[in-house]
Amino acid sequence: MVCKIADNIFSPLGFTTEENYQHVRQGCSGVRRHEGWRGLPYPFAASLFDWNRVQLVDGFTPFESIVIRSVEGALAQTDVDAASPSVLFVLSTTKGNVDLLEAPSPASAMQRLPLGAAAQVVASYFGNPNMPVVVSNACISGLNAQIVAMRALQCGSYDTVVVVGADVLSRFIVSGFGSFKALAAEPCRPFDIERFGLNLGEAAATIIYRRAEAGSWHAVRGAIRNDAHHVSNPSPKGEGCYRALRYVMQGQSAGDIAFIGTHGTSTLYNDEMESAAIDRAGLLAVPVNSLKGYYGHTMGAAGVLETVLSMRALDDGIVLGTKGFATMGVSHPLNVSASHRTTDKRAFVKLLSGFGGCNAAMLFKKGGMA
Amino acid sequence: MYIQNMEELVLELKEKIIEVLNLEDVRPDDIDSDAPLFGTGLGLDSIDALELIVMMERVYGIKIKDPSVGKDIFKSVNTMAEFVSKNRTK
Amino acid sequence: MKIRHEVLITPERAVVDGKPIPVTTHGIDMLTELYRTRINDYPRFFKMDELCRLGFVASELLLQAAGDRHADSEDRAVVMFNSSGSVCNDRKYQATLQQPDGFFPSPSLFVYTLPNIVTGEIAIRNGYHGETAFYVLDKKSSALIDNALRATFCDETTQSILGGWLDCEAPDDFLAELYLIEK
Repeated sequence: MVCKIADNIFSPLGFTTEENYQHVRQGCSGVRRHEGWRGLPYPFAASLFDWNRVQLVDGFTPFESIVIRSVEGALAQTDVDAASPSVLFVLSTTKGNVDLLEAPSPASAMQRLPLGAAAQVVASYFGNPNMPVVVSNACISGLNAQIVAMRALQCGSYDTVVVVGADVLSRFIVSGFGSFKALAAEPCRPFDIERFGLNLGEAAATIIYRRAEAGSWHAVRGAIRNDAHHVSNPSPKGEGCYRALRYVMQGQSAGDIAFIGTHGTSTLYNDEMESAAIDRAGLLAVPVNSLKGYYGHTMGAAGVLETVLSMRALDDGIVLGTKGFATMGVSHPLNVSASHRTTDKRAFVKLLSGFGGCNAAMLFKKGGMA
Repeated sequence: MYIQNMEELVLELKEKIIEVLNLEDVRPDDIDSDAPLFGTGLGLDSIDALELIVMMERVYGIKIKDPSVGKDIFKSVNTMAEFVSKNRTK
Repeated sequence: MKIRHEVLITPERAVVDGKPIPVTTHGIDMLTELYRTRINDYPRFFKMDELCRLGFVASELLLQAAGDRHADSEDRAVVMFNSSGSVCNDRKYQATLQQPDGFFPSPSLFVYTLPNIVTGEIAIRNGYHGETAFYVLDKKSSALIDNALRATFCDETTQSILGGWLDCEAPDDFLAELYLIEK
């Protein structure tokens, strides 16, 4: 079985999983309104690092620093020898060091623009001899990376995989979402009738997997499916999301699922699409949530961060509330709540969707169940 | 006041549409000024609508904040021309 | 896994299953020539960035060699690898933020600042609902690519993969080595 042995969340809400979880339990959010950020001509709401509090790693970019700090945080909980050839690093990111394009940078810094080069310097920092794999599959990268880890462990080539997801914001990224008129200047409202756009966020998160007989959390099944509809709009029927959900739920009972952790970005199209897919899969009764109200959309980090937080919450028998939700605003009535709920169930499904029509679903189970 | 002959503006808009939307094999003569631009007709999509919003600001100085308003403005080249001549600041 | 068909495209030539395709141009123009002479029924081609045009043309040639698109399926994965991500288009997008006449970010360019979009374009063209993924490596590693493609078959639904190396550093500096692979 593919078991989690350690994790970390390194975000504006804290530098450890525990700090993050306690803040989210109390309803704190990293999302703030920002005006005139890096000279952009419009305000937007996002969860950004206070870089004065982040201990940058000498000789590494801000992006690489948060990756390193998060991995360090997770590794410290284990006896893993990161320099061993049986350990693989998998990095999930959408734009890595793209902020290097913003200002004139020396040629030596520009060498870190390619995602593989950035991943390589991080792996080398930990002395790891293997070429790391970067997953660049838009916003589903964090689940895609965990699926890569599962496969790497199941095929027997490695015995430990360090999965780290991260992204930092830049004029490049914010202006891009801005050009899609997808940004909200106020905190987002997933699934709400008055939702009007997404918040962005910065974070890094790590999950370390190992093949083992038993463990606290297992990655059971994962799937990626494409809408084959449009390069940026989701399929209105949630085709890819539904198919991915159907695959991971094979042989599973809906009654065993504590919750579905949706993508829930608070855009008109995404939230409606997910509700359609969940309905098609016959899972409307299952509690759902979105964590975007606490962190914003952290892109490459999202799949890892939201998985880790969900696991921590379920360790306490908690289904985290959907911050920003008040009134049902999607046409398939999901079982969503703004406040935290309790549960005695031990499994959850995580969903993500991204540009390029890709959708991912993963099933996680607690304890020794197969 | 920006005075431009309607016929000239319509032709200019067709050229701009072709240019900003990368409609490689389309000539201005191929575009019927009254035909729907979205759905059928040229079959433009939501990203094209967003590009046209950028074009409106860049070329004619008109800011369109809400993309859903675009549906009416971009119905056809003629509706675009009417909107531009009423609202242009460049 | 078995390789059924393969295509190689460089700025100078295009070769399908070992047979070169006669072309009169090179670089990005050659991709347009291949589109016009061999495909020519998908005007969306002209909205794509260079990486997508490369992947689109290469996949079309591959599927032509196969004689069957295997359209509207869920059991074909599209999995690509490169080392330059979407850098060619990233620079173009960045430039729209600082143009002589001001700040005019282009949404159509922004869409292509993610390398996985090419897998989406191929999926849309063919109705592929299976797995689509994009991986970036520091250097081209046949071993890593081979392992990752094999591992893609861990999804029990997946019976074939359209995939391989798809890199575009600059409009006249690119390489496509794509394969149609069966389980």
